[in-house]
Amino acid sequence: MRPEILILILGMALVTFFPRFFPMAFFNQRVLPEKVKKGLEYFPISILSAIVFPILFSNGGGKIEIQPQYLIAAIPVFLFAWKVKSLWGSVILGMALYWGLGFVL
Amino acid sequence: MDNHQFRAGVKAALPIVLGYIPVGMAFGVLARQAGLTPIEVGLMSFFVYAGASQFLAIEMILKGMAWVPIVIATFFINLRHLLMSSTLSLYFNRNRIRTLGLLSGELTDESFAVAMSNTSKIENRPAYLFGLQITSHVAWVMGSVAGALFGGLIDHQSYGIPFALPALFICLLLLQIKKIHHLLIMVIAGVSSLFFKWALPGNWYIVLTALLASGIGMFLNSKVQSSKLKSPLTPPSPLGGERKVASTRNRGEGSRGTESMRKQ
Repeated sequence: MRPEILILILGMALVTFFPRFFPMAFFNQRVLPEKVKKGLEYFPISILSAIVFPILFSNGGGKIEIQPQYLIAAIPVFLFAWKVKSLWGSVILGMALYWGLGFVL
Repeated sequence: MDNHQFRAGVKAALPIVLGYIPVGMAFGVLARQAGLTPIEVGLMSFFVYAGASQFLAIEMILKGMAWVPIVIATFFINLRHLLMSSTLSLYFNRNRIRTLGLLSGELTDESFAVAMSNTSKIENRPAYLFGLQITSHVAWVMGSVAGALFGGLIDHQSYGIPFALPALFICLLLLQIKKIHHLLIMVIAGVSSLFFKWALPGNWYIVLTALLASGIGMFLNSKVQSSKLKSPLTPPSPLGGERKVASTRNRGEGSRGTESMRKQ
Protein backbone atom coordinates (compact mmCIF):
# COMPACT_ATOMS: atom_id res chain seq x y z
CA MET A 1 0.00 0.00 0.00
CA ARG A 2 1.73 3.15 -1.18
CA PRO A 3 1.08 6.26 0.91
CA GLU A 4 0.34 8.48 -2.10
CA ILE A 5 -2.40 6.09 -3.27
CA LEU A 6 -3.84 6.02 0.25
CA ILE A 7 -3.89 9.83 0.35
CA LEU A 8 -5.51 9.88 -3.08
CA ILE A 9 -8.23 7.43 -1.99
CA LEU A 10 -8.95 9.29 1.25
CA GLY A 11 -8.98 12.66 -0.54
CA MET A 12 -11.36 11.40 -3.19
CA ALA A 13 -13.56 9.79 -0.53
CA LEU A 14 -13.75 13.05 1.41
CA VAL A 15 -14.69 15.27 -1.52
CA THR A 16 -17.20 12.68 -2.70
CA PHE A 17 -18.81 12.32 0.71
CA PHE A 18 -19.33 16.03 1.28
CA PRO A 19 -21.75 16.80 -1.60
CA ARG A 20 -23.60 13.57 -0.88
CA PHE A 21 -24.01 14.24 2.81
CA PHE A 22 -24.33 17.98 3.25
CA PRO A 23 -27.73 18.69 1.61
CA MET A 24 -29.33 15.70 3.29
CA ALA A 25 -28.08 16.71 6.72
CA PHE A 26 -28.88 20.37 6.16
CA PHE A 27 -32.38 20.10 4.69
CA ASN A 28 -33.38 17.25 6.95
CA GLN A 29 -33.68 19.51 9.96
CA ARG A 30 -35.49 22.28 8.10
CA VAL A 31 -38.84 22.88 6.51
CA LEU A 32 -38.30 23.69 2.86
CA PRO A 33 -40.39 26.35 1.13
CA GLU A 34 -43.06 24.80 -1.07
CA LYS A 35 -41.54 26.38 -4.18
CA VAL A 36 -38.19 24.69 -3.59
CA LYS A 37 -39.92 21.36 -3.05
CA LYS A 38 -41.75 21.73 -6.35
CA GLY A 39 -38.45 22.42 -8.06
CA LEU A 40 -36.78 19.42 -6.43
CA GLU A 41 -39.52 17.19 -7.83
CA TYR A 42 -38.17 17.86 -11.32
CA PHE A 43 -34.58 16.96 -10.47
CA PRO A 44 -34.90 13.20 -11.06
CA ILE A 45 -36.39 13.53 -14.53
CA SER A 46 -33.95 16.29 -15.53
CA ILE A 47 -30.91 14.42 -14.23
CA LEU A 48 -31.96 11.19 -15.94
CA SER A 49 -32.58 13.00 -19.24
CA ALA A 50 -29.13 14.59 -18.92
CA ILE A 51 -27.63 11.13 -18.47
CA VAL A 52 -29.57 9.33 -21.22
CA PHE A 53 -29.54 11.85 -24.09
CA PRO A 54 -25.76 12.33 -24.30
CA ILE A 55 -25.28 8.53 -24.32
CA LEU A 56 -27.43 8.33 -27.46
CA PHE A 57 -26.59 11.56 -29.25
CA SER A 58 -23.10 12.62 -28.26
CA ASN A 59 -19.64 11.15 -28.60
CA GLY A 60 -17.47 11.06 -25.48
CA GLY A 61 -15.95 14.44 -26.25
CA GLY A 62 -19.28 16.28 -26.27
CA LYS A 63 -19.69 16.62 -30.02
CA ILE A 64 -23.24 15.97 -31.21
CA GLU A 65 -23.00 12.69 -33.05
CA ILE A 66 -25.59 9.92 -33.21
CA GLN A 67 -24.38 6.70 -31.61
CA PRO A 68 -26.07 4.10 -33.86
CA GLN A 69 -25.46 1.02 -31.71
CA TYR A 70 -26.77 2.79 -28.61
CA LEU A 71 -29.64 4.55 -30.35
CA ILE A 72 -30.99 1.52 -32.22
CA ALA A 73 -30.79 -0.62 -29.06
CA ALA A 74 -32.47 2.16 -27.10
CA ILE A 75 -35.66 2.36 -29.18
CA PRO A 76 -37.04 -1.10 -28.32
CA VAL A 77 -35.89 -0.61 -24.72
CA PHE A 78 -37.88 2.66 -24.59
CA LEU A 79 -41.00 0.90 -25.86
CA PHE A 80 -40.50 -2.09 -23.59
CA ALA A 81 -39.85 0.08 -20.54
CA TRP A 82 -42.90 2.19 -21.37
CA LYS A 83 -45.22 -0.83 -21.62
CA VAL A 84 -43.78 -3.27 -19.08
CA LYS A 85 -42.00 -0.93 -16.64
CA SER A 86 -39.53 -3.63 -15.67
CA LEU A 87 -35.97 -2.61 -14.77
CA TRP A 88 -34.65 -6.15 -15.04
CA GLY A 89 -36.34 -6.74 -18.36
CA SER A 90 -35.05 -3.46 -19.77
CA VAL A 91 -31.46 -4.22 -18.77
CA ILE A 92 -31.50 -7.77 -20.18
CA LEU A 93 -33.29 -6.72 -23.38
CA GLY A 94 -30.95 -3.75 -23.84
CA MET A 95 -27.81 -5.85 -23.36
CA ALA A 96 -29.06 -8.54 -25.77
CA LEU A 97 -29.94 -5.96 -28.44
CA TYR A 98 -26.68 -4.09 -28.06
CA TRP A 99 -24.71 -7.32 -28.23
CA GLY A 100 -26.60 -8.50 -31.30
CA LEU A 101 -26.17 -5.15 -33.02
CA GLY A 102 -22.45 -5.43 -32.49
CA PHE A 103 -22.40 -8.27 -35.03
CA VAL A 104 -24.51 -6.36 -37.59
CA LEU A 105 -23.19 -2.80 -37.44
CA MET B 1 -33.64 -1.95 11.36
CA ASP B 2 -36.69 -3.25 9.59
CA ASN B 3 -35.74 -6.57 8.04
CA HIS B 4 -38.63 -6.76 5.64
CA GLN B 5 -37.90 -3.31 4.19
CA PHE B 6 -34.19 -4.06 4.08
CA ARG B 7 -34.83 -7.17 2.01
CA ALA B 8 -37.16 -5.28 -0.31
CA GLY B 9 -34.36 -2.77 -0.85
CA VAL B 10 -31.86 -5.54 -1.60
CA LYS B 11 -34.25 -6.95 -4.19
CA ALA B 12 -34.75 -3.56 -5.80
CA ALA B 13 -30.97 -3.26 -6.24
CA LEU B 14 -30.60 -6.36 -8.41
CA PRO B 15 -30.86 -4.54 -11.78
CA ILE B 16 -28.11 -2.21 -10.54
CA VAL B 17 -25.98 -5.22 -9.55
CA LEU B 18 -26.31 -6.50 -13.10
CA GLY B 19 -24.71 -3.29 -14.34
CA TYR B 20 -22.23 -2.67 -11.50
CA ILE B 21 -20.45 -6.02 -11.59
CA PRO B 22 -19.25 -5.82 -15.22
CA VAL B 23 -18.58 -2.08 -15.08
CA GLY B 24 -16.75 -2.60 -11.78
CA MET B 25 -14.70 -5.33 -13.44
CA ALA B 26 -13.83 -2.98 -16.27
CA PHE B 27 -12.65 -0.48 -13.66
CA GLY B 28 -10.57 -3.15 -11.92
CA VAL B 29 -8.85 -4.11 -15.16
CA LEU B 30 -8.00 -0.50 -16.03
CA ALA B 31 -6.84 0.26 -12.48
CA ARG B 32 -4.46 -2.70 -12.62
CA GLN B 33 -3.07 -1.38 -15.87
CA ALA B 34 -2.46 1.93 -14.13
CA GLY B 35 -0.44 0.10 -11.50
CA LEU B 36 -2.90 -0.17 -8.61
CA THR B 37 -2.83 -3.39 -6.56
CA PRO B 38 -6.08 -5.36 -6.07
CA ILE B 39 -6.18 -4.14 -2.45
CA GLU B 40 -5.88 -0.51 -3.56
CA VAL B 41 -8.61 -1.11 -6.14
CA GLY B 42 -10.89 -2.57 -3.47
CA LEU B 43 -10.20 0.27 -1.05
CA MET B 44 -10.89 2.89 -3.69
CA SER B 45 -14.18 1.26 -4.71
CA PHE B 46 -15.17 0.90 -1.06
CA PHE B 47 -14.28 4.39 0.17
CA VAL B 48 -14.86 6.50 -2.93
CA TYR B 49 -17.65 4.49 -4.57
CA ALA B 50 -18.21 6.82 -7.50
CA GLY B 51 -17.83 5.26 -10.93
CA ALA B 52 -17.24 8.28 -13.14
CA SER B 53 -14.61 9.86 -10.91
CA GLN B 54 -12.83 6.55 -10.32
CA PHE B 55 -12.46 6.02 -14.06
CA LEU B 56 -11.24 9.58 -14.43
CA ALA B 57 -8.75 9.08 -11.59
CA ILE B 58 -7.26 6.08 -13.39
CA GLU B 59 -6.97 8.07 -16.59
CA MET B 60 -5.19 10.86 -14.72
CA ILE B 61 -2.87 8.41 -12.94
CA LEU B 62 -1.95 6.95 -16.34
CA LYS B 63 -1.09 10.47 -17.47
CA GLY B 64 1.22 10.75 -14.47
CA MET B 65 -0.80 13.32 -12.57
CA ALA B 66 -0.50 13.79 -8.80
CA TRP B 67 -3.24 13.32 -6.22
CA VAL B 68 -4.20 17.00 -5.82
CA PRO B 69 -5.59 17.57 -9.33
CA ILE B 70 -7.31 14.17 -9.19
CA VAL B 71 -9.05 15.05 -5.93
CA ILE B 72 -10.10 18.44 -7.31
CA ALA B 73 -11.51 16.81 -10.47
CA THR B 74 -13.36 14.28 -8.30
CA PHE B 75 -14.92 17.07 -6.29
CA PHE B 76 -16.30 18.78 -9.37
CA ILE B 77 -17.57 15.57 -10.97
CA ASN B 78 -19.46 14.66 -7.84
CA LEU B 79 -21.07 18.04 -7.27
CA ARG B 80 -24.13 16.67 -9.04
CA HIS B 81 -24.77 14.62 -5.92
CA LEU B 82 -25.70 17.89 -4.19
CA LEU B 83 -28.87 17.86 -6.28
CA MET B 84 -29.67 14.21 -5.63
CA SER B 85 -28.99 14.51 -1.93
CA SER B 86 -31.26 17.57 -1.72
CA THR B 87 -34.04 15.65 -3.44
CA LEU B 88 -33.62 12.63 -1.16
CA SER B 89 -33.81 14.85 1.90
CA LEU B 90 -37.50 15.43 1.12
CA TYR B 91 -38.23 11.83 2.01
CA PHE B 92 -36.40 11.61 5.33
CA ASN B 93 -37.64 13.72 8.17
CA ARG B 94 -35.59 14.37 11.24
CA ASN B 95 -33.48 11.25 11.21
CA ARG B 96 -30.35 10.78 13.30
CA ILE B 97 -27.27 12.27 11.71
CA ARG B 98 -25.63 8.82 11.76
CA THR B 99 -28.46 7.34 9.70
CA LEU B 100 -28.27 10.22 7.24
CA GLY B 101 -24.52 9.84 6.92
CA LEU B 102 -24.88 6.17 6.17
CA LEU B 103 -27.62 6.75 3.59
CA SER B 104 -26.10 9.72 1.82
CA GLY B 105 -22.56 8.33 1.84
CA GLU B 106 -23.64 5.56 -0.52
CA LEU B 107 -25.60 7.75 -2.88
CA THR B 108 -24.97 7.07 -6.57
CA ASP B 109 -26.75 8.06 -9.79
CA GLU B 110 -28.15 4.55 -10.13
CA SER B 111 -29.35 4.03 -6.58
CA PHE B 112 -30.82 7.54 -6.54
CA ALA B 113 -32.75 6.89 -9.74
CA VAL B 114 -34.05 3.53 -8.55
CA ALA B 115 -35.09 5.10 -5.23
CA MET B 116 -36.92 7.86 -7.13
CA SER B 117 -38.78 5.37 -9.34
CA ASN B 118 -41.12 4.66 -6.44
CA THR B 119 -40.82 7.27 -3.74
CA SER B 120 -43.55 5.72 -1.60
CA LYS B 121 -41.08 2.92 -0.87
CA ILE B 122 -38.34 5.16 0.49
CA GLU B 123 -40.39 7.74 2.36
CA ASN B 124 -39.09 7.55 5.92
CA ARG B 125 -37.87 4.03 5.32
CA PRO B 126 -34.12 4.17 5.82
CA ALA B 127 -33.90 0.36 5.92
CA TYR B 128 -35.21 0.06 2.37
CA LEU B 129 -32.81 2.66 0.99
CA PHE B 130 -29.95 1.16 2.98
CA GLY B 131 -30.69 -2.30 1.54
CA LEU B 132 -30.78 -0.87 -1.97
CA GLN B 133 -27.52 1.03 -1.54
CA ILE B 134 -25.44 -1.49 0.39
CA THR B 135 -26.25 -4.18 -2.20
CA SER B 136 -25.15 -1.90 -5.04
CA HIS B 137 -22.04 -0.90 -3.08
CA VAL B 138 -21.05 -4.54 -2.45
CA ALA B 139 -21.55 -5.35 -6.15
CA TRP B 140 -19.31 -2.42 -7.13
CA VAL B 141 -16.52 -3.44 -4.73
CA MET B 142 -16.74 -7.12 -5.67
CA GLY B 143 -16.82 -6.35 -9.38
CA SER B 144 -13.79 -4.10 -9.26
CA VAL B 145 -11.72 -6.47 -7.09
CA ALA B 146 -12.65 -9.37 -9.39
CA GLY B 147 -11.58 -7.29 -12.38
CA ALA B 148 -8.29 -6.44 -10.68
CA LEU B 149 -7.61 -10.07 -9.75
CA PHE B 150 -8.81 -11.96 -12.80
CA GLY B 151 -8.34 -9.23 -15.37
CA GLY B 152 -9.31 -10.13 -18.86
CA LEU B 153 -11.51 -13.16 -18.12
CA ILE B 154 -14.49 -11.28 -19.53
CA ASP B 155 -14.22 -8.78 -22.32
CA HIS B 156 -16.12 -5.84 -20.86
CA GLN B 157 -16.94 -4.49 -24.30
CA SER B 158 -18.80 -7.67 -25.19
CA TYR B 159 -22.10 -9.35 -24.20
CA GLY B 160 -23.88 -6.02 -24.34
CA ILE B 161 -22.16 -4.92 -21.11
CA PRO B 162 -21.68 -1.28 -22.26
CA PHE B 163 -25.47 -1.01 -22.58
CA ALA B 164 -26.39 -2.41 -19.13
CA LEU B 165 -26.42 0.92 -17.29
CA PRO B 166 -27.81 2.96 -20.22
CA ALA B 167 -30.75 0.51 -20.46
CA LEU B 168 -31.31 0.86 -16.71
CA PHE B 169 -31.32 4.67 -17.00
CA ILE B 170 -33.72 4.59 -19.95
CA CYS B 171 -36.25 2.56 -17.99
CA LEU B 172 -35.80 4.76 -14.92
CA LEU B 173 -36.31 7.87 -17.05
CA LEU B 174 -39.59 6.51 -18.41
CA LEU B 175 -40.76 5.66 -14.89
CA GLN B 176 -40.40 9.37 -14.08
CA ILE B 177 -42.86 10.39 -16.79
CA LYS B 178 -46.14 10.50 -14.94
CA LYS B 179 -47.81 13.53 -16.49
CA ILE B 180 -47.92 14.92 -19.99
CA HIS B 181 -45.77 17.97 -19.21
CA HIS B 182 -43.03 15.63 -17.97
CA LEU B 183 -42.45 14.64 -21.59
CA LEU B 184 -41.79 18.27 -22.39
CA ILE B 185 -39.37 18.56 -19.47
CA MET B 186 -37.58 15.44 -20.71
CA VAL B 187 -37.08 16.90 -24.19
CA ILE B 188 -35.99 20.28 -22.82
CA ALA B 189 -33.55 18.62 -20.42
CA GLY B 190 -32.28 16.26 -23.11
CA VAL B 191 -31.59 18.98 -25.65
CA SER B 192 -30.02 21.34 -23.12
CA SER B 193 -27.80 18.56 -21.77
CA LEU B 194 -26.46 18.02 -25.29
CA PHE B 195 -25.80 21.72 -25.59
CA PHE B 196 -24.10 22.04 -22.18
CA LYS B 197 -22.03 18.94 -22.79
CA TRP B 198 -20.81 20.38 -26.05
CA ALA B 199 -20.17 23.84 -24.59
CA LEU B 200 -18.57 23.00 -21.25
CA PRO B 201 -15.85 20.64 -20.01
CA GLY B 202 -16.34 17.87 -17.47
CA ASN B 203 -19.83 16.99 -16.41
CA TRP B 204 -21.19 20.39 -15.56
CA TYR B 205 -23.87 19.57 -18.10
CA ILE B 206 -25.74 17.41 -15.59
CA VAL B 207 -25.89 20.09 -12.89
CA LEU B 208 -26.79 22.90 -15.29
CA THR B 209 -29.42 20.83 -17.08
CA ALA B 210 -31.03 19.85 -13.78
CA LEU B 211 -31.21 23.47 -12.63
CA LEU B 212 -32.52 24.80 -15.94
CA ALA B 213 -35.07 22.06 -16.61
CA SER B 214 -36.35 22.07 -13.02
CA GLY B 215 -36.76 25.82 -13.23
CA ILE B 216 -38.81 25.44 -16.39
CA GLY B 217 -40.74 22.61 -14.74
CA MET B 218 -41.58 24.83 -11.78
CA PHE B 219 -42.75 27.55 -14.13
CA LEU B 220 -44.95 25.17 -16.16
CA ASN B 221 -46.29 23.69 -12.96
CA SER B 222 -47.30 27.09 -11.58
CA LYS B 223 -49.00 27.90 -14.92
CA VAL B 224 -51.00 24.67 -14.77
CA GLN B 225 -51.93 25.29 -11.13
CA SER B 226 -53.04 28.89 -11.65
CA SER B 227 -55.07 28.08 -14.78
CA LYS B 228 -56.80 25.36 -12.75
CA LEU B 229 -57.64 27.85 -10.00
CA LYS B 230 -58.88 30.54 -12.34
CA SER B 231 -60.83 28.19 -14.57
CA PRO B 232 -64.53 28.99 -14.58
CA LEU B 233 -65.15 25.41 -15.68
CA THR B 234 -64.37 23.95 -12.26
CA PRO B 235 -66.94 21.17 -11.86
CA PRO B 236 -69.74 22.71 -9.82
CA SER B 237 -71.74 19.76 -8.59
CA PRO B 238 -69.65 16.70 -7.61
CA LEU B 239 -68.11 16.75 -4.16
CA GLY B 240 -64.75 15.85 -5.65
CA GLY B 241 -64.58 19.16 -7.48
CA GLU B 242 -64.77 21.24 -4.36
CA ARG B 243 -62.12 19.21 -2.64
CA LYS B 244 -59.78 19.28 -5.59
CA VAL B 245 -59.77 23.05 -5.66
CA ALA B 246 -59.13 23.17 -1.94
CA SER B 247 -56.18 20.86 -2.24
CA THR B 248 -54.63 22.82 -5.11
CA ARG B 249 -54.91 25.94 -3.02
CA ASN B 250 -53.27 24.20 -0.11
CA ARG B 251 -50.38 23.20 -2.24
CA GLY B 252 -49.78 26.78 -3.22
CA GLU B 253 -49.53 27.80 0.40
CA GLY B 254 -46.15 27.41 2.00
CA SER B 255 -46.68 26.45 5.59
CA ARG B 256 -49.83 24.39 5.42
CA GLY B 257 -48.69 22.36 2.44
CA THR B 258 -45.50 21.58 4.27
CA GLU B 259 -47.34 20.43 7.36
CA SER B 260 -49.47 18.00 5.41
CA MET B 261 -46.40 16.67 3.62
CA ARG B 262 -44.64 16.05 6.91
CA LYS B 263 -47.59 14.12 8.28
CA GLN B 264 -47.80 11.78 5.34
